[in-house]
Amino acid sequence: MRRRLPLLVIVALLLSVLPAQAQGGDTLTVLCTPQEDWCVAMTQAFQEQTGIATSYVRMSSGESLARLRATADNPEFSVWWGGPADGFIAAAAEGLVEPYESPNAAVIDPHYKDAENFTWTGVYVGALGFCSNREILDELGVEPPTSWQDLLNPALQGNIGVAHPATSGTAFTAFWTNVTLAADSLERAAMEEQGMDADAIAEALAAGEYVGAGYDETGAPNQEAVDMAFEYFAQLHQNILQYTRSGSAPGQMAGTGEIAVAIIFSHDCVKLQQEGFEGILVTTFPEEGTGYEIGGMGIITNGPEPEAARVWYDWALTADAQAIGPTVNSLQLPTNPDAPVSELSVNLADVNLIRYNFQAAGESRTAIVERFDAEIAPQPVD
Amino acid sequence: MRGGIVRELAVRRYLNQFRRIFQDPVLAIGLILVTLFLVLAVVWPVLAMVGESMSEAGRPLFARYLTEPTYQTIIRNTVVMGLLVAAVGTALGFLFAYVQVKVQAPFKRLMHFVALVPIISPPFAVATATLTLFGRNGLITKGIFGVRYDIYGLQGLTLVLSLSYFTVAYMNLKGMMQALDPALEEAATNLGANKWRIFRTVTVPMLIPGILGSFLLLFVESIADLGNPLVLGGNFEVLATRIYISVIGLYDTTGAAVLSVILLVPSLIIFVIQRYWIGRMSVVSVTGKPSGTPQMITHPWVRWPLFAVTMGVTLLIILIYATLFVGAFVEVPGVNNSFTLSHFDFVINGYGSEAMTDTTLLSAISTPIAGLLGILIAFLVVRKEFPGRAGLDFAGMLGIAVPGTIIGIGYLLVFNNPLDLTLPFGGENPLTITLIPKLTGGRAVLGGALAIVMVFVIRSIPAALRSGVASLSQIDPAIEEASISLGADNARTFRKITLPLIRPAFLSGLIYAFARSMTSLSAIIFLTTPQTKIMTQQILNETENGRYGNAFAYCVILILIVLVAISVLYLTVGSATGAERTLEGGG
Repeated sequence: MRRRLPLLVIVALLLSVLPAQAQGGDTLTVLCTPQEDWCVAMTQAFQEQTGIATSYVRMSSGESLARLRATADNPEFSVWWGGPADGFIAAAAEGLVEPYESPNAAVIDPHYKDAENFTWTGVYVGALGFCSNREILDELGVEPPTSWQDLLNPALQGNIGVAHPATSGTAFTAFWTNVTLAADSLERAAMEEQGMDADAIAEALAAGEYVGAGYDETGAPNQEAVDMAFEYFAQLHQNILQYTRSGSAPGQMAGTGEIAVAIIFSHDCVKLQQEGFEGILVTTFPEEGTGYEIGGMGIITNGPEPEAARVWYDWALTADAQAIGPTVNSLQLPTNPDAPVSELSVNLADVNLIRYNFQAAGESRTAIVERFDAEIAPQPVD
Repeated sequence: MRGGIVRELAVRRYLNQFRRIFQDPVLAIGLILVTLFLVLAVVWPVLAMVGESMSEAGRPLFARYLTEPTYQTIIRNTVVMGLLVAAVGTALGFLFAYVQVKVQAPFKRLMHFVALVPIISPPFAVATATLTLFGRNGLITKGIFGVRYDIYGLQGLTLVLSLSYFTVAYMNLKGMMQALDPALEEAATNLGANKWRIFRTVTVPMLIPGILGSFLLLFVESIADLGNPLVLGGNFEVLATRIYISVIGLYDTTGAAVLSVILLVPSLIIFVIQRYWIGRMSVVSVTGKPSGTPQMITHPWVRWPLFAVTMGVTLLIILIYATLFVGAFVEVPGVNNSFTLSHFDFVINGYGSEAMTDTTLLSAISTPIAGLLGILIAFLVVRKEFPGRAGLDFAGMLGIAVPGTIIGIGYLLVFNNPLDLTLPFGGENPLTITLIPKLTGGRAVLGGALAIVMVFVIRSIPAALRSGVASLSQIDPAIEEASISLGADNARTFRKITLPLIRPAFLSGLIYAFARSMTSLSAIIFLTTPQTKIMTQQILNETENGRYGNAFAYCVILILIVLVAISVLYLTVGSATGAERTLEGGG
C-alpha cells in the first residue's frame, strides 16, 4: 500500500501536463464540420498567421448540434466552422451561437448570411448531387440516376448510401430538398387547377409566390409536404445499405464499390475524383431540382476563447482563407467574391437548384430528425 | 427467541470481522480506498443510468421499446447475433484448444500465436480488413471469384466478431484441457472405450463448464460491441448502435438509458450465471500438475481434418492482418495499390500524433493502477473475511460485465457537472466545496483525461482481479501466516511474500490492462474532448469515412505500441517464462 502513494503523485504530475495548452495563453478550439483535411489546413494556416494555438475536433453537423446542446452550460468550443446553415439556424434558435457582426462579412451576399441578427455567416456554398460508381452501375444494369425517382429502382436495393440526418447535415439537406420538392408539387397541382400555364407556374414557384397548397403563409413547407418526404424516404430506405454518421462517408463507399450511388454534396464527389477515384465516380444531379448548402460559421455562446473566436471569424471570411479549400481538394464555392474559384468546382448556374428555405429548414430540423430516427432508420428492409 | 440469538451471533461475527480488518490500518485503508474507487468509478454511474431510465420521462419508453415491432426487431437482432457469435466463437476456441492440447499436428506454435493476436488488435482492424478482402468489391470475393458478395449484416458480423473474440474461449478451454487429468482417459481406454467415445463421454463432459462459460462471455462481449456493427451492420441494427446514435445524434440520454437497461439486463444475468453458477460446476481439479502425459490424437482421419480446419482459420487470420499491414502502405487499398507512406505521415506527424501520445500516456497511467487495484481486490477477496466480500468481487468485475457504451452514458450523467457541497453555515455567502470536479464534457478537469483513466482502470481491473484470484487460490496461506508469525505486518507480508509469488499473474494482469485500454472504444467514445484524443476514436472516424489507409496505419501503430509495452512489462515486472505460463495457463 505504501508504494501506491508515489505512484499517485506521478500520475497527478503526468495528468497535469496534458491539458497545458488549454490554460492561459492564446488558444482557440474550433468545432469543425467539413472534411478532416480541410480542418487541418485551416487550423494550421490560422495558427501560422495569428500565433494562436488552434486545435479542432471534427464532428458532423447534427452531432455538433447535439454536443453544443449538451454542453451549453460550459461549452468546450469557441467557434463552429462549416456545415449546412440549417444547423446554425437551429443552434441560433436555441441561443447556442451568439451574434457577431464581423467587419469582413460586409462583402458576403446577404442571402449567404444572417443579415438581420448576425448569428451566422456563410463561408462556402455547394450543391447536393448523386455520386455513382460507373462500374457497379453497369453491372447492375442501371444508368446514373438523374432524378430522385431513379433512386427507387429496385435494382438498386442495398446499393445506395446516405448519412443519418440526426448526425449529418448532408443527409438533412437531402431530406429537406425532398420536403421542398413535395411542397412545390402540391403548389403546382393547385396552380394547375386554377388554370395557370406551365410557364406561369414555374415563374411563381421561382419567385416564391405560393397559393398555399404546399407552403404556409410564412413560406415554410407545410405538414403535408413533410409527410410526403417521409413517404419518399420510407421507400428509399429499401435501397439504403446503411446510414453513416458523416455526410461524405457514402462517397468513399461508392468509390470502393461497396455501393453504387451515394447521396452526397457534389463537391465531395469531385474531391474523391481528385483523390484516386478519377474515372470511377461520376457526379449527376436530379433534374427536378436539388438542394444546396451554405456552409455556415458561428461564435459559440459563452465559449472559452471569445476573442480568438472573433479573430478566426474575421479571418475565415477573407479571400485568402477561402482560397485554402482548393489546396486540399475541398472544392466548395467561396462566399467571398474576391476568393479564387477552382475550375474543378461545380458551377451552381449549371444545376437546377430548388428554392431552399434555410430558416424553415433550421426550425424544423429537430422534429424531423427525431421522427426520422424513430420511423425510418430502424425499420427492417424486406 | 432462538432466532434472536442466532441473529445476535451473526451480528457479532460481522462486527468481529470488521474489527479484525480495522486492527490493521493499512488493510483498512486499502479496503476503503478500493471500495470508494469502485463505487465512484463504476457502481454510481451504472446506478445513475438505471435511475435515469426509471425517471418520469424514461418509464413510458420501456413500454414503447418493448412493444413496437421496430424495436423488437432490434432486440431480436442483438440476441441472435450474440448467440451466433457465442456459438461460432466457442466452437473456434474449442477447435484451436483441442488441436493445441490433444492433436499431434505441425505449426502448433504459429496457431497459438495467431489465436492470441486478437487481444492486441484494435476494434476495427478485423472488420475493415475483412471488408477490403470480402466486401462487395473485395480483393478475394470480387477479385478472385468475381462475386459481388454481400457481407453486410448478420453474416459479416458473425464472422468478424467470432474472429475478434474467440481468443477468450481458446484460452479458457486450453487451460482446462491442459488441467484435465490424463488418468481419466487412460482409465476409459483400459475399459475398452475408443477415442471417439472418450471424447464424447469423458473429455467433453469435463469441459462443459468451460464451454458454457466461454459461450456466455462471448455472448456478453458481442452484444456490447459497437465498432463492428457501425462498420459492417448494413441495415442490421443492434442495440449498441441504436444507443450510440441516440447519444451522438440526438443527445437523448434518457432514451439511451432505457435502451441501455434493456441491453444491461441480459448482460448482467448471463454474467452472474457464468460467474457464480457455472464457476461452481467445475469438475476439473486445478491443484497441482496433471499426472502422466496426455495421449495425443494420431489417427490420420481425425488428425488431418482437424488440422486442416484449424490451419484454414489460422491462415484466414494471417491474411486479414497481412491485409492490414499492406493496406497501411498503399494509396487506396483495393482500388489504387501504389506504395505510399502518406498514411503513416498523417498518423505520426499530422493530425494523429496527439491521439497517439494521449492514448499511450493514459493507458500507461491506467495500467499499474488497474493491476494493483485488481490484485488488491483479489487479495482481499481470497485472503480476508469481511462483510460485503462477494459484493466487492462483483463490483470489481462490473467493468467487464457492463457494456462499454453504458459506462460512458453513466459517466455523462454523473460527472458532467461538478458535485458541490454547500456548507450549512456561512450565512449569505455559504462556503461551497467541490467534492468532485466536472470530469466529462466541456472544460472538464484535465481535459477529461481523468474520466478516461477511470474508465480504462475499471475496464481493466477484471482481468487483473481474475488472474490474481486464480493465482492466490493456489498459494498456501501458510506461507503468509508464517511471515506474520515472524513479526511482519500485513503490508510487509503482501509486498515481500504475496506479490513476488503472484508476480506472473500480476504481469499478465498488466498486459491485459494495457492492451484493453489501448483498444477500448465503446466506453470512451462519449468521453473524448478537444484536449484528449483517443486513437480508437480516430480509427472509427477514418473507417467510417472509408479512409481505410489511414485506419490501417493507425491500427499498425497501435499494435506496435502494445507489443513494445508488453516487452517493456516483461523486462521490468517479471521473467518471460513465468508470465508466459500464466498467459497460457490462466484464463
